[in-house]
Amino acid sequence: MTAAALRKPAPLARPRLTPAGAGLRLVRLHLASRSVPMTLAVLAACAAVLRAALWRNWAPHPGPQQLPLAIEAGTAMVIAVTTRSPFGEPERITGRWLPYLRLSTALALTGTAAGVLAAASAGAHLPDGDLAMLRNTAGLAGIALLSAAVLGGSLAWITPVVYWLVTEFALSYGWQTPWIWPARPPHDRGAAICAALVFAAGVIVTTVRGARDSARE
Amino acid sequence: MNDNIVITDLARRFGRFKAVAGVDLEVGAGVFGLLGPNGAGKTSLLRMMATVIRPSSGRLRLLGRDPGSYGPRKEIRRRLGYLPQNFGHYPSFTVAEFVEYFALLKEMPPQRIPAAVASAIERVGLGDRARKKLRTLSGGMLRRAGIAQAIVNDPELVLLDEPTAGLDPEQRVAFRALLRELGQRATVVVSTHLVEDVGAACTEVALMDGGKIVFRGTPGELTAGAEGAGAAGDAPLERGYSAVLAQARATAAAAARS
Repeated sequence: MTAAALRKPAPLARPRLTPAGAGLRLVRLHLASRSVPMTLAVLAACAAVLRAALWRNWAPHPGPQQLPLAIEAGTAMVIAVTTRSPFGEPERITGRWLPYLRLSTALALTGTAAGVLAAASAGAHLPDGDLAMLRNTAGLAGIALLSAAVLGGSLAWITPVVYWLVTEFALSYGWQTPWIWPARPPHDRGAAICAALVFAAGVIVTTVRGARDSARE
Repeated sequence: MNDNIVITDLARRFGRFKAVAGVDLEVGAGVFGLLGPNGAGKTSLLRMMATVIRPSSGRLRLLGRDPGSYGPRKEIRRRLGYLPQNFGHYPSFTVAEFVEYFALLKEMPPQRIPAAVASAIERVGLGDRARKKLRTLSGGMLRRAGIAQAIVNDPELVLLDEPTAGLDPEQRVAFRALLRELGQRATVVVSTHLVEDVGAACTEVALMDGGKIVFRGTPGELTAGAEGAGAAGDAPLERGYSAVLAQARATAAAAARS
């Protein structure tokens, strides 16, 4: 930075942006800053593991739903990590677009996670079926998003892991509460409502507040 | 004078700790230096001005608006440039992408963005590195990229927390020139503990200690505070800083005893 540099007229580095082009560019940069391409690759890997598990009929002791549940928890952990903002406060105090970007990223990634897991289980026998998988994935994503708001994006994976371990315990000892929805049957209305509530809470908190700032974690 | 910042009895608590303890301040266009030792409350005051945190009590008006209300806060944020002490970045972004991302988030008119991004990068002297990834930059260059994101929207209010940390002497001299240029059109508040930055770039200065403003005046008046006080320091402004701070602490201690 020299005095000459200060006087130098600014060159036009890029052609003019249209409003639509600016919107697309903002979305692309936001997704890149959240490592979404890497997240999609990890979600695809989770789906591949689920496909292999179902195809080879892996059924670890004591229940057949344990491996799918572990994979569902894995996708929630990955979604949670993408909530981390590398920019901290300067990004938080910008205009109105950031909440919408956070909302769409959380919804799109949860939808993608459920979609790739459903695709991976197509034509195979998924214990408890696709409906339970959708319920479990959405609920675990909600836990992960809430966790990101409290612990920060970098540590948000901890809570889905804890929930997964509690669920394993519940499956082993036959606990019956709708708040541990993976331990309930696929058509259990109470479990579906609990999972939906947690997912909705996670999405709302992520939209309004975002993950706790990384700089202050 | 058109005051872009009007602060009345502003306080901020973190639990029992009172970081800012009743500050009154009016700041118009120009470069305003916020000096003080570590823990004086400079960063907390700046974060309230940046609408990052809300005051615990008191009144704050920025650019003629109340940041406590949603609509005015959004309008203030659009016209604000902020560089915090600990600023984060995404290492895989280029300098241009980093600055462009903030221009887009700050809702600049799309047709103005390419020129504004190029201009901000040139103004901080990173024009030849606009296409370099942030991970390849030195600490001082990263700081300059942070300054570029703060000024890309041509803000009316610029808040910079320790902006010269990590800059080498040549960069600091150029940065002070940039500050003076920004101060011709905007209100620039620079929080620092480096008195030489204040002396070279600021038209006015406030000295904070214990969450309060203990001095307000020009750098010349701060320097004059050292006369006959025998305060420590290598430069006149440093001696003024030390003398005014010592005097403020002595007054506070006397008030606490009585």
